[in-house]
This record gives sequence, C-alpha cells and structure tokens, in this order.
Amino acid sequence: MQSGITAGKIDLSDTAVFGVSMDSPAANAAFAKQIDIKFPLLSDMNKKMLKEYGILKGYDVQNETYQWAQRANIVIDKNGVVQHIEEGDGAVNPNNAMSVCGDLHKKAAK
Amino acid sequence: MKRLLAAFALVSMATAFAAPISLSQKQELAKTSLKVGDAAPDFNLLSDQWKPVKLSDFKGKKNVLLAIYVLAFTGG
Repeated sequence: MQSGITAGKIDLSDTAVFGVSMDSPAANAAFAKQIDIKFPLLSDMNKKMLKEYGILKGYDVQNETYQWAQRANIVIDKNGVVQHIEEGDGAVNPNNAMSVCGDLHKKAAK
Repeated sequence: MKRLLAAFALVSMATAFAAPISLSQKQELAKTSLKVGDAAPDFNLLSDQWKPVKLSDFKGKKNVLLAIYVLAFTGG
C-alpha cells in the first residue's frame, strides 16, 4: 500500500479514496487493520477491473508467472473522466495524486 | 481408409476448436492502458467488509482516488 495516503491530507467531502488489489476481502480486512488504514480496500479477485484498466502485470516467482496489479494511483473526476495516472515506482509517493484531488476540489469551489 | 477419414475428421475438428480458444487467450492478455482524459470503465468490487462498491455510485458526487497496490502484507 502506498504509504502517505492519509485521510487528513485530502478533503473527503469531495473525494472518495480506495485501495485496490486482487487480494480477497478477508485478507484486505486483516491488512487494513494491520496498517490502520482509514479508507476501504477493494478486492478485484477475478482481476476484471485491473484488466480493463490495463494495470495487470506479470510477476515471475519460482519459475511461475502470476498476474497481479501494477502499483498505480488513478484520479477519476466526478464526470467519470481520468484526470491523473501514475504507475510503478512513481506511484509509491501519492502526493501528486492527492494534489490533483485538491485542485479538483478548488476548481469545484469556484 | 475409414481410419484415415476418422483421423482427418479429428484433426479438422481440433483445428476448428483451436482457433477460437487461442483467440480468447489473447483477448485475456490484452491490455487497455488508460490515459488521462479517458472515461474510466465502471467497476463493481467488494470492499474489505464484503460490500459492493461501484465507480458509478460516485458519478456527479465525488472524485475518486484509487491507490492500486500489488499485494496485501507486502512492501508492495
């Protein structure tokens, strides 16, 4: 999980924050408790959403390839339009994605 | 001759079936990489409380920030 995404840094009146992976809801519930995260973790167990968003990636482990999510931050505005995407190592730090949310909020307030 | 015909029938059946199967595998691996400005495809995912969450639930109401991570309980 991208560390640094904290509810306090985003105006939640305007933005819904979710974590997404292909873990089961049960695993995500335990994970959420362990890292004390304040937003829901969503489970794409059949990898449908990850596939549609083009963020499934093959990982080689012990001579076997597994398809898991690529790390990414995606911001979608209220019209359902993608406003921001960052993938891979660049997505470890969620500050850019959070500032995009802040900008959208300011724009809406005008 | 009968055996030969049967073998031929089997082979043609196999090729007839093989084509759509390999195609569907290809489709499964196809990636549609999303870009800024694209309409985000709707999704319906289970939360860690086993509650369905749809992207379309937030349309016209809230921006959505998705933090996609590799696997729970890992550095990723």
